[in-house]
Formats: sequence, structure tokens, C-alpha cells
Amino acid sequence: MAKEIEVTLNDNKVTGAEGMTILDLARAKGIDIPTLCYVEDLLPTGACRLCVVEVEGSRTLVASCHTPIAPGMVIQTHSPRVIEARRQIVELMLASHPDTCLVCDKANICELRKIAADLDIGLPRFRTRKHYFAIEDVSPYLVRDMSKCVLCRRCIRGCNEIAKKNVLGMAYRGFDSKVVVDCDEAINTEACRDCDVCVSLCPVGALSKPRKVEEKRRGKVQVIKG
Amino acid sequence: MAENTTITQSKETKDLLILLAQTQKKCGFLSEETLANLARTLDMSLSDVYGVATFYSFLSTKPLGRHVIRVCKSLPCHYKDAAVIIESLEKTLGIKTGETTPDGRFSLELTNCIGACDKAPAILINDDVHGDLTVDRIPQILQAYK
Repeated sequence: MAKEIEVTLNDNKVTGAEGMTILDLARAKGIDIPTLCYVEDLLPTGACRLCVVEVEGSRTLVASCHTPIAPGMVIQTHSPRVIEARRQIVELMLASHPDTCLVCDKANICELRKIAADLDIGLPRFRTRKHYFAIEDVSPYLVRDMSKCVLCRRCIRGCNEIAKKNVLGMAYRGFDSKVVVDCDEAINTEACRDCDVCVSLCPVGALSKPRKVEEKRRGKVQVIKG
Repeated sequence: MAENTTITQSKETKDLLILLAQTQKKCGFLSEETLANLARTLDMSLSDVYGVATFYSFLSTKPLGRHVIRVCKSLPCHYKDAAVIIESLEKTLGIKTGETTPDGRFSLELTNCIGACDKAPAILINDDVHGDLTVDRIPQILQAYK
């Protein structure tokens, strides 16, 4: 039996097992912390920063998905500072995200849209700067639209850890960062055959299956406040 | 990275960066073929090797000119009007950033901080730092590189 650790979570004294992350504990206690890059079975990377929480004594906000709980920690998961940080992160993501939600296949089940709606994000506050890439539809197994990518690295981790095919990698730097195949080629690898791991992990519309005729869209319509 | 070491026959992932730097020094740039070979010897995916090669501004995946001009694009230089220097270099050389002159004399690249913030705006030509730049001084500096 793992050692029990007592922490203060949103002003309540709670206990969790040693080695648990703040996110694990919060979710176990029914507190909803939004996440984008976190997937339960994959190694956490802390890439999206959406799961940040305030920990007393820490200079910066910490990403709860990869921070283990420690005895006596005082954690705030929904303080004004945290909410403001989360909103700003999503606003920055939307600032470089194409405005094609209306015609995007992922529209109704897009995690970015859902999070933006939950955080009550309206019209862009920042000057938008998009990066457009040609849609990669050469592969018969999947279609990639890197303009919509939010760099959560879920596809890369899924490909490495679940499918164990190591097709995808992260290249370039800063704003130019991009998930690439080999030397930045349009994805068309035979390894992708009968493998939907990355497609099913993508939170946005960057990865999809080639659309079949008469296929219906899934999910209810979501509303983003304007 | 030691100057005179020959390319090691290392097969460890941790030596990737050293191997890339050595290959760059020897061949001038990193071709897709080189990267693919390296990926094979180190048992890594080509995407990962390409990722490292494109992350660092001192590694190049395309052939460069005899002299490489690297303009600092970090914040202190930006505030000291590095954009004007870039524009002037582009005009003088007749190329855009990321390109090489047709005669193969100069390549113009952007780089992250080169640690010359005290003399911003600064550029690096090969291994030489030129700081406190003004538009007027550029032709004179370029003359020294044939």
C-alpha cells in the first residue's frame, strides 16, 4: 500500500497516495481541471499548460499533470490567477488557429472548442497570426491538416508509446514548430495502415480519416460566445 | 564540441548532437541522406533526427554559402532595430533571409541569441561577432569576406 500524503486542495484537507499527480488527485476528488495534451495512458509532457494550478510557495504556476503531490502542499485549482492563465493560453492557441470551425469535420467534438467554450472565451484579444500548411491527403490511411495543429504532441506519444511505430517527430523551433514525418514530408507511410492511434488522439481537426461518401458528423453543436 | 575529433562511431542516442555538429562541420550541411544514415546507426526515427537538426540554428539542412551571416533575432537585438539591419543586408546581398547568393559567397540566416546583447544589434559572420551595427557599416564589413 502506497504511503498516504495529506495536502490542502481548494481549502479542503484531502489525502492521496504517494506518487499521484495533482491532476490525478483533483480528478479523484471530482475537481475538473481542463487538459489538452494529457492522456491518461501516455507519459505526461506538460506541453499545453492548460492544467496549471497554483501551489503555495511556488514562484510560478505548475502543470498539475506531471507534478506529484507532496506532503503539506496547498493547491488552488480554480483561483482567479489560474483561470486567467488558462484563458490566456487558450486565447493564444486560438490566435494561431484557423477560423475554419464552421466547416471543420471536428467541429462538434473538438476539444479546443469545448475548452474555449468552458472558459468563456470570446473574440480574439491578440493579433491573430495563422500558419497555413498544405493539407496532406496522399496517404490512404489518414489526412493531416497541420494548420489546425495545437502542438499537444499526443499523436507523437501515441505513435511511439501505443503503436510503437515512431513515425512522427517534433521539428523546428518556436512559432515554426511542427509535427513532421521523416524530413518534413507529407505523411504517406505504410506503417499507418490499420492504425488509428494518432487520429483518435488528436484533440482538434488536424488528423482525420479520409472522409467517406455520406458519412455523418458526430456530436451536438457547441456554442462559442462571441 | 572538440574541434579536431574525427567523427566518432558512436551508436548512442545521447551523442546525436555531437555527430550532427561534426557532420555539419565536415560536409557544410546535413543532407537527408546523412540524416537517414545517422538515424539508422543510432536506431532512432528519422523524424526525431530531423527534429534535432532543425531545432538548432547552427545546424543546416540545406547547403550554405562560403560565408554564413547569422543575424540575431532575439529580443535585445530586436529592440535595437535588428529588422533594419536584416532589411539592409537583404538589399545589399539581393537575397531574402534563409537564402544563399547565386555566387555562393554569402548565406543569410537568423539565429537565436548569440550572447552579444551588450553590442546589439549584432550579427555573426562565420565565427566573428560584429556588434553595434549601423546600416552604413554593413558594406564595409561584408568586403572583408571574399
